[in-house]
Amino acid sequence: MPLTNVLIVDDEERFLKTTQTLLEKEGYKVFTAADGYKGLEALKDKRVDVVVLDVKMPGLDGVEVLKRIKADHPLVEVIMLTGHATMETAIDGLKLGAFDYLTKPCDIPTLKKKIMAAHDKRSAMLDKIQRAKFDRIISHPMEVFSKEE
Amino acid sequence: MKDYYTRTLRNMLVIRVFLVPFTVLLVVYGTMIYFFGAYSSRQVKNELVRIATDHRNLIDQFLSEKAAILQFTVASFSRDQLRQKNYLEMIFKNLQIQSKAFFDLGVFDVNGRHVAYAGPFDLLGKSYAEANWFKEIQNAPVYISDEFLGYRQIPHFIIAVKKEEAGNAWYLRATIDTYYFNDLVENIRIGRTGEAYIVNRSGILQTKRRSGGRLMESDGDFVKYAVSDQGKTAFFSTGGWRDGFLYASAPFQQTNWQLIVRQSIGDAYRPLLSSILVSLLLLLGGSLLVVLMGFLMATNVATRLKSADMEKREMKTQLILAGKLAEVGEMSTGIAHEINNPLQVMKSEVAMIQSLTDDIGPAVADKAPDTLAQLMDSVREIGDQIDRCSHITQGLLNFARKCENSSEPIFLEQFVPRMVQMVDQRARLENIRIVQEIESELPKIVSDPNQLQQVFLNLFNNAIYALKGRASPEIRVRVTKNDQQILVSISDNGCGFSPETMEKAFLPFFTTKPVGQGTGLGLSTVYGIIKGLGGDITLTSEQGQGSEFQISLPLESQENANTQSHHTAS
Repeated sequence: MPLTNVLIVDDEERFLKTTQTLLEKEGYKVFTAADGYKGLEALKDKRVDVVVLDVKMPGLDGVEVLKRIKADHPLVEVIMLTGHATMETAIDGLKLGAFDYLTKPCDIPTLKKKIMAAHDKRSAMLDKIQRAKFDRIISHPMEVFSKEE
Repeated sequence: MKDYYTRTLRNMLVIRVFLVPFTVLLVVYGTMIYFFGAYSSRQVKNELVRIATDHRNLIDQFLSEKAAILQFTVASFSRDQLRQKNYLEMIFKNLQIQSKAFFDLGVFDVNGRHVAYAGPFDLLGKSYAEANWFKEIQNAPVYISDEFLGYRQIPHFIIAVKKEEAGNAWYLRATIDTYYFNDLVENIRIGRTGEAYIVNRSGILQTKRRSGGRLMESDGDFVKYAVSDQGKTAFFSTGGWRDGFLYASAPFQQTNWQLIVRQSIGDAYRPLLSSILVSLLLLLGGSLLVVLMGFLMATNVATRLKSADMEKREMKTQLILAGKLAEVGEMSTGIAHEINNPLQVMKSEVAMIQSLTDDIGPAVADKAPDTLAQLMDSVREIGDQIDRCSHITQGLLNFARKCENSSEPIFLEQFVPRMVQMVDQRARLENIRIVQEIESELPKIVSDPNQLQQVFLNLFNNAIYALKGRASPEIRVRVTKNDQQILVSISDNGCGFSPETMEKAFLPFFTTKPVGQGTGLGLSTVYGIIKGLGGDITLTSEQGQGSEFQISLPLESQENANTQSHHTAS
């Protein structure tokens, strides 16, 4: 199983902690953030593949966080987590580029499945980009030195 | 209570709208009757007086004419001429040619001896010195007597004239045919009882009275109308409506008689009476009709007002109910959301515990296998209860319906039978007949089939539950359309809703089922789905008779409907 880096953003501290423990047992690398700002902060200096993002949070709203993530890190996949009352915002999130949404309360296995699917999608995307880069390097070898990703 | 209300309203309407004009009508009618009556009685009086006067004049003329003829005769012939029998008879014949009224003719000398006679009786030579008329003629040139018997012992009256000839007076006397004269008066008829007769000053009848009273009899009524003012035409009435009479009396100029015209009051006023009667009948009939119509109209209006009032009240309760439902919806989403968050935490904790027990399982399996099993069971139970809670919050959220609807074309002609199919087996077990009345050529609707399925199944389940133990249980599904909507009605003849339960039927967690058999989320979910699909649902029910759910679904997709309503709004 490839090592997947997951960032969970939720205002429920206990949920963060438990889910982190559980997912880490399963072999994921898990970061947590208690609100949107911290989540965005974490994204800056950590390699994250999938973000599990609560829609309704105090401070920065889930949809807003999603927008910023997609602006700064377009390849990071986001799974929205909704308490159902915010179903409409979760759907808005899909339109804004979220991978999928889950309704609370959700099973850990379900969450894992969604994370894997998101990761697979990201991997496929990265592969494609890699291949494109590779093709480019082959045709324009000098560009390797021009800039990093 | 409501009937009392209707009755009061109706009575008020009857009184205000009909009784007031009716009273006015009565007053007008009364006034008219009064004036008409006064006018009529004046007319009756005038008529009687006119008849009396006219006939008096006629008879006066008759008498004066007869007197004039006699005067002419005595002036034209000498006593000696008239004493000759054949001469007198010739004159008598000539007189009779002139008028049949002359009955006989006689000549008298100064001593009242009958010296010549032409006529049917044998009166020649008789002395009239003591006769009343002979005394009277001494003082006047002409005398008309009252009726008397005389020698012939037959009632008659005479006209006598006096002639002075060479210092000696002689007299010519003519008897007037009683029958002839009588006919003049007796033939006057007014109405049914109106009659005319002549009386002298002492109330002795000078002509026959048709209603009884022979010649020369005393008129019993004379005292009633005898007046001192003898010279003038007069009018009297005596007695009442039944036995009273109206009298008009006209005095003669030639004699001291009076012509009396008499009519019974009842007869005289008969036209007035009958006109009053007829109009009274008309009024009665008319007012009966008016009252009847008024009553009908007032009842109609009252019922209509009542039904309008009830409609209003129903609308109000519907509005309140809708408001209540919206409020509850708002609240349920909040509650569901707030509960879902801790549930999420609990769920991950359970997963954690399971994971941990899995970890320590091999280590403790030997030492305390039962404890481990109990722990696992307990944790699983917690997981189940969390799921149960989650199910409830799911139901709450379904009621509030803030979730995505898929939009697919649905043909109810195929969709509804499929739904019926799904419950058919269960219904058959309970002996329930399901009747489908689906209009053909229904247009397709665009809606969410899964949610609609849930609606149908929930309603069918409710109906089946309501039909438990009922006689000839039946569920009726009717699908029709109108201009903008598809109307689905699902009715049963089950136990029905009481008014209180009907009010709460759509509220989440309200259930009439025993504890543990229903969450009370079925109808609230149905409500949420239908609202979410842009439709509406109403419930009508009578306790013990059955209930009917009426669902209306928009024909066009909701977006179209929205833009349309925007257009109309702008």
